[in-house]
Amino acid sequence: MQASSAIRRCFLLALVIACQRSGVAESSTDKVVGAANKFLATLSDEQRQKVVYAYDDEKQRSRWSNLPTGFVPRAGISLKDMSSPQRDAAMALLATVLSPMGLEKVNQIRLADDDFKVNGSKRGPRSGPPGGNGGPPINPNGPPPPGPGGPPPQFGGRGGPGGRPRFGGGDLFGSDLYYISFLGNPSTTVPWMLQFGGHHLALNITIAGSRGVLTPTLTGAQPATFKLNGQTIRPLGRESDKALALLQSLDEKQRQQAVLNYRVADLVLGPGQDGKKIAPEGLKVSGMNDKQRAMLLELIAEWAGIINENSASARMTELRADLNETWFAWSGPTTFEPGTNITAYYRVQGPHLVIEYAPQKDEPANHIHTIYRDPTNDYGRQFSNQ
Amino acid sequence: MKAKLAILIATLSLGVPSFAHRLDEYLQAMIVSIEQSQIHVSMRLIPGVAVSSAVIAAVDTNGDGILSYTEQQTYAQEVLRDLSLSLDGHALQPHLRTVNFPAPADMKEGTGEIHIEFDADLPTEGPQRTLVVENHHQPRMSVYLVNALAPQDRNLRVTSQNRNQNQSYYRLEYAQASPQQDSFLLRWRSRCVTALAPFTGVPSMFRLGMRHIVEGTDHLLFLIALLLPAPLLAKRSRWGAAGSIRRSLVQIVRVVSAFTIGHSATLALGASGLVSLPSRVVEVLIAFSILVSAVHALRPLFPGREPAVAAGFGLVHGLAFATTLQNLGVGTWQRVASILGFNLGIETMQLIVVAAILPSLIILSRTPAYTAFRLGGALFAGFASLGWIIERLFNVPYLVDGLVDRIAQRGVWIAISLIVISICLWLRPTLFLSDQKMIHE
Repeated sequence: MQASSAIRRCFLLALVIACQRSGVAESSTDKVVGAANKFLATLSDEQRQKVVYAYDDEKQRSRWSNLPTGFVPRAGISLKDMSSPQRDAAMALLATVLSPMGLEKVNQIRLADDDFKVNGSKRGPRSGPPGGNGGPPINPNGPPPPGPGGPPPQFGGRGGPGGRPRFGGGDLFGSDLYYISFLGNPSTTVPWMLQFGGHHLALNITIAGSRGVLTPTLTGAQPATFKLNGQTIRPLGRESDKALALLQSLDEKQRQQAVLNYRVADLVLGPGQDGKKIAPEGLKVSGMNDKQRAMLLELIAEWAGIINENSASARMTELRADLNETWFAWSGPTTFEPGTNITAYYRVQGPHLVIEYAPQKDEPANHIHTIYRDPTNDYGRQFSNQ
Repeated sequence: MKAKLAILIATLSLGVPSFAHRLDEYLQAMIVSIEQSQIHVSMRLIPGVAVSSAVIAAVDTNGDGILSYTEQQTYAQEVLRDLSLSLDGHALQPHLRTVNFPAPADMKEGTGEIHIEFDADLPTEGPQRTLVVENHHQPRMSVYLVNALAPQDRNLRVTSQNRNQNQSYYRLEYAQASPQQDSFLLRWRSRCVTALAPFTGVPSMFRLGMRHIVEGTDHLLFLIALLLPAPLLAKRSRWGAAGSIRRSLVQIVRVVSAFTIGHSATLALGASGLVSLPSRVVEVLIAFSILVSAVHALRPLFPGREPAVAAGFGLVHGLAFATTLQNLGVGTWQRVASILGFNLGIETMQLIVVAAILPSLIILSRTPAYTAFRLGGALFAGFASLGWIIERLFNVPYLVDGLVDRIAQRGVWIAISLIVISICLWLRPTLFLSDQKMIHE
């Protein structure tokens, strides 16, 4: 009698725990699905048709880029083409699916595009940052500030003879030229995807039941340092600072392994390079001490932590388990002034991870592309058999 | 220099000092995938805005603004000619597989990617391989990337990668374990199998050893007869009362161990052919050893020296074991392994038998019934041994063998009833006492 009642008690306890766990997981996905449906409900039938693709639409799945939307048109609907309630619903959806840190990063990348629209490259004819508070106030949820008469001068030539008309006007840059699209319909059980991206941004988020997968995701910025209302903003500043700190924590022998003797001109596994696992190089994490490992995880979290906490913590657990098989490689200068962006390339690579940070040649400290991948699980294929 | 100047002029004339995308470089990114007998390379060529006209001009040789199929193929072949591929110093011949061109307009914007895929066959031999890939296509305006995919084939393992500063030179070293040559693990497995091959017969030899004891009742009878007086203390020329349990146990262990040492020695010597006696002599000697221990169980012949006697007769018994083992095994290791397995089987069975009768001996030796038991056992062993001696000496069929065998076949039941009887006898005084008590009350 006693034994059977004990077994019964254990069973009940397990049941309660299982319910609680699934409750936590469901609540996160529930919220995302709820926010997604709320957004979709604000759209007209015509808009909805433009926004929702079939879940197995491979073409749409890989339609993302670091380039401005004028060069590589994104599908879906841009914030610019939304009404104010639609934009609010879209931003509310992002706030649910992303962590506060992730949302801030996304918004800062968009703000950088606003700055670029106004000021262009710092080396351009109208070089130099906008004087003091000269930058107009930008509300990430609101429409962009009016540019001073169309595109920055360095893009003026684009509309000239021989150029293509689609680059005319002010439609190349700005925080409102970010597009949202769906693959499949939001569901708590059946896998579906949310895409949000534009210039220097491509979020590809797969929601499969309680799991959320952020790979592949591209972040980038130009300018990578700018002033807004007197505040210095570096959308990818921590990616630079944390990597530099990690590099500087290495001893001489570790550094010799980590620092590659050749230049890496760009992302190796950028857009279009899905599912590729390259032979790793650099310093293997098994040769790092506990402090350095912790620093590396902190660095990885700058990408893995863009998605909401529920999904990010599962991902970090996976990456922590891979740590001994993870590599850190660096190419370029190794000393920088604190608070400035590095001009070196680096890569973090593990069995389920590729992170690349690639300064671009035109303005290495101020123009950055990064990629975040799981070559075994791009677009959450593991969970969806797609 | 000319190209650089052209780029500079183009840049200035366009008034484009900076762009959101590639400007004055021709990015050539290669991803090499290695297999056992071939490499597959995919190339992406992305001309920046400022160099795109130069690239387009190189493709569009007739200048009609259209990149025809022939022009595309010709350009791709040109790219392959500018590559240099070698494996272990031998030049490799690339075979163009696919070519894909973007619209010239996209190239002008710096967003178009030319895709070229090609294969090269590799010579198959060689466990350590060095692949060198050099890219000399448009060196003045180009930046290069080259990487290898982590090999899918588990027999291939990248051991090192080296590049020059701009990645136009790439050296990939990798280890190739061909399936025929076995991987590291397989090699070790086969080594272990070879090393353990002589021991594959050990389990069967072990079983043979055990069976030999069960069926070889003469060995058992010798041992049991020798153990019969073991718990007792010799008092002048008679067996007296039982010694302490500790002493009894020690005595039994010493006798059994001595017997083991003795027969193991001659088993090894006999099985390796170093010592041999005619089997009939051995058989008679064994029967004689039983007679000796039977007499000793009646009257102490060599009190305190049982272990020595056990070891001495053990030598004889070992020779008998060895005859079973002759003609077994070919290699030395195989013989050693066989002897080891056989002997382990003997010891195991012997220990089982001793463990089965030991409690009975110790318990019974503390009851008055033990004298009768000892005498009975000794007489049985004595007559059996006499029978065996006659049987073996004169080679005449006799009853003893069959009789003893039939008893031995019921060994388990005998051992169990022995324990039950000894416990009952041991408890009898207590039972008797309590009966009396009950009557009194």
